[in-house]
Amino acid sequence: MATVTFDKATRIYPGGEKPAVDGLDIEVGDGEFLVLVGPSGCGKSTSLRMLAGLEDVNAGAIRIGERDVTHLPPKDRDIAMVFQNYALYPHMTVADNMGFALKIAGVNKAEIRKRVEEAAKILDLTEYLARKPKALSGGQRQRVAMGRAIVREPQVFLMDEPLSNLDAKLRVQTRTQIASLQRRLGVTTVYVTHDQVEAMTMGDRVAVLKDGLLQQVDSPRNMYDKPANLFVAGFIGSPAMNLIEVPIVDGGVKFGNALVNVERDAVQAAADKGDRTVTVGVRPEHFDIVNGESEGKSLSKDAPAGLAVTVNVVEELGADGYVYGSAKVGDEDKDVVIRVGGRAIPEKGSVLHVVPRAGETHVFATSSGERLSD
Amino acid sequence: MTTDTIEDATPGSPPRKSGTPASDTTGWKWRRSEGLVLNAFSHVFLVVWALMVGLPLLWALWSSFKSSGDILSHPLSLPTHFHFDNWSHAWSKANMGRYFINTIIVVGFSTFGTMLFGSMAAYVLARFEFPGNRLIYLCFVAGMAFPVVMVLVPLFFVTTNLGIINTLPGLILVYIAYSLPFTVFFMTSFFRTLPTSVAEAALVDGASHTRTFFQIMVPMAKPGIISIGIFNVLGQWNQYLLPLVLNQGDTSKWVLTQGLADLAVQQGYQGDWGGLFAGLSIAMLPVLAVYIVFQRQVQAGLTAGALK
Repeated sequence: MATVTFDKATRIYPGGEKPAVDGLDIEVGDGEFLVLVGPSGCGKSTSLRMLAGLEDVNAGAIRIGERDVTHLPPKDRDIAMVFQNYALYPHMTVADNMGFALKIAGVNKAEIRKRVEEAAKILDLTEYLARKPKALSGGQRQRVAMGRAIVREPQVFLMDEPLSNLDAKLRVQTRTQIASLQRRLGVTTVYVTHDQVEAMTMGDRVAVLKDGLLQQVDSPRNMYDKPANLFVAGFIGSPAMNLIEVPIVDGGVKFGNALVNVERDAVQAAADKGDRTVTVGVRPEHFDIVNGESEGKSLSKDAPAGLAVTVNVVEELGADGYVYGSAKVGDEDKDVVIRVGGRAIPEKGSVLHVVPRAGETHVFATSSGERLSD
Repeated sequence: MTTDTIEDATPGSPPRKSGTPASDTTGWKWRRSEGLVLNAFSHVFLVVWALMVGLPLLWALWSSFKSSGDILSHPLSLPTHFHFDNWSHAWSKANMGRYFINTIIVVGFSTFGTMLFGSMAAYVLARFEFPGNRLIYLCFVAGMAFPVVMVLVPLFFVTTNLGIINTLPGLILVYIAYSLPFTVFFMTSFFRTLPTSVAEAALVDGASHTRTFFQIMVPMAKPGIISIGIFNVLGQWNQYLLPLVLNQGDTSKWVLTQGLADLAVQQGYQGDWGGLFAGLSIAMLPVLAVYIVFQRQVQAGLTAGALK
C-alpha cells in the first residue's frame, strides 16, 4: 500500500489561461479514503486524472509512496480506476473484463481465474462471469467496474463518481458497500464526487475544491463543525448552512432582535479590515425556537427575542422537518432554513422566532470569506 | 394545408410495412386512403426498381447456361438444358480461373492493408492531439475529392520507376493508396463516436497504445470496420481503370475485370456468348455472396454512428 502526495500539482489546459487545478497540495495517508468534492468544473476530476496519468501535470509533482509518478504513463503507476460510466470493454465477458489487467501483466491463467473468482464472490458477481456487459443491469456493471479494480490489488484506487449513474436507492446501498470494501482491503483510495452526502459518509477525510483551488481538507466531522470559509460552509451540509450578513455591534453581532455573542477578537479582526458586517452561519439544526418566551438576549424589550421567520414551505421527512422561511435581516428579506422536530411542524404562513444556539454559530469575514470564529 | 396532410400521412405509412395496415386509429378514412395510395405507389416504384436491377443479373446468370446459338435466337427464354461447359470453358480456356485467383489475391491484400492502415491512421487522427493533426485529416479529405483519372499518368510513371508496374504487389499498393482517403475519413468519425473512457480504462489497466488499439478499440469499431471493409471489397473488386493502366503486361497477372473485357471483345468475335455470360457470373457471384453474408453488418455499420 502507499501514500499519495499532490505536491503543488497544477494543470493548465492547452489554450487556457486559468489553471483547472491550481497548486493542489494534499497528502493522502496509507490506506486512507480521501474524497475530493466540489461543484462541477472545480477541478476534482482533473486532479484524479492527473493522479491516474490521463492528464498532464504542468507544474508541481505527484508521488505515490516515495515514487515520483508525475510524468509516468498510467500503466507504470500501479493504480486502478473506476470510471463514471464504468468504461467496461463491451466485447469481453465479465471475467475477461476483470482479468484484462492481469492478462497484460502476464499472470498465468489459473491465477487470473482464481483472483477473478475471488473478486466476483466479494461483489456477488459469480453467476454473471460469462456474460457480456450489455446483458447486465446498471448496478451489476458498476460492480464489474469495481471488480476490475479489485483484482489488480493496486497501490491506489481511483474512483471518478462511480455512483452517479445509479438510482437513488442503489446509490445509498452501494455507497456503504464501497466504503466497507475499502476498509476491508485497506487500499489507499481517492474518490471524486459532487455529492457532499457521499463525501461526508464515505471519506476518512474530505477535500473541498473550488475553481481549481483547494479550500479545505479535513475529517467530515471537522469539515462540518469548522468550515474554513464561506464556500465550504455553504457546500457541506444538507440543507445548506444559513449564511446571513449582519452588522457588527458592540459586544457581538446583531441577529434580528437578538445579540449573538461572538469572540471579541474575531469581530475585532473583521472590523480592523474595514468590514462593517460579518457573515454569520447557522446550520438548520442549530436554531432554537423561542416563540414568545424572552429567554434570549432581547435587544428591545417590546419585541420578542430572536429572528422572526415567516414559514413559506415545510418539508416533512418523518423523523424531522425542514422549514423554509424568510426573515427580515436589516432591510433585506433572507431565506432561512430551520430544522424542527418531526412532531412539531409549524403551519405554513406562521411566524417563528428563532435564536441560534450558543456556541454553534460560525462567523466569516464578509469581504474575504475567511472563518473568524474559532 | 394539403401539403401538411400529405406530410402527416407519409410517416404513418412507411413503404416497407406493406403487410401491416395503417396503424393510426384516428378513423379519418380519407387520410387512410391517401396513405394507401401513397403506399401502393411507392411499392410499385420499388418493384419496378428491383426488376430493373435484378432482371439483367438473372438474365446474365441463366444465359450462362445456354448455348450461344440459343442466346442469339431466343435471348429471353429460359435454358432448355444446362450447358455447364460454358462455365468450365470460361474458367479454363478463357483463363477466368487465373484472373479470379489474381483478383482474390489483390483484393484480399489491398482490403486488409487499407483497413489496417486506414483504421490506424483514423484512430490517431480521432484521438490524439498533435500539431498538424487537422492538416493531415484535411489532406485525406482532399484525397477523396481528387479524381483518379487525373493521376493515372503520374501513377504510371511512379510505378514504373519503382519497378512495380505490371505486378500484383504494385497493384495492391496502388489500391491501398486509392482507398485510404475515404476509409480514413469514415473511420475517423467512427472512432470519434466511441467513448474515450474505455481506451483510458485500458491504459490504466496497463495496456500499451498498440494493445489498446488492437484489443479494445478495433473490436469496438467492428461495425464500422466491416461496413467500410465491404465497401472497399466491392470497389476494388470492380476496379477496371487502374489495372487497365498499371497491369497491362503479362495476361497471367490480369484481374477479372480485364479478363472480362477481353472476353467481351474476343468471344464476341468467336460468337461464344455463353462463355461470356459464364465469365460475368464468375465475377459477379463472389461479390453477391460477400454482400449477402455481411448484409446485416453493413446495415448495422451504416446506422452505428447515428445512435450513441
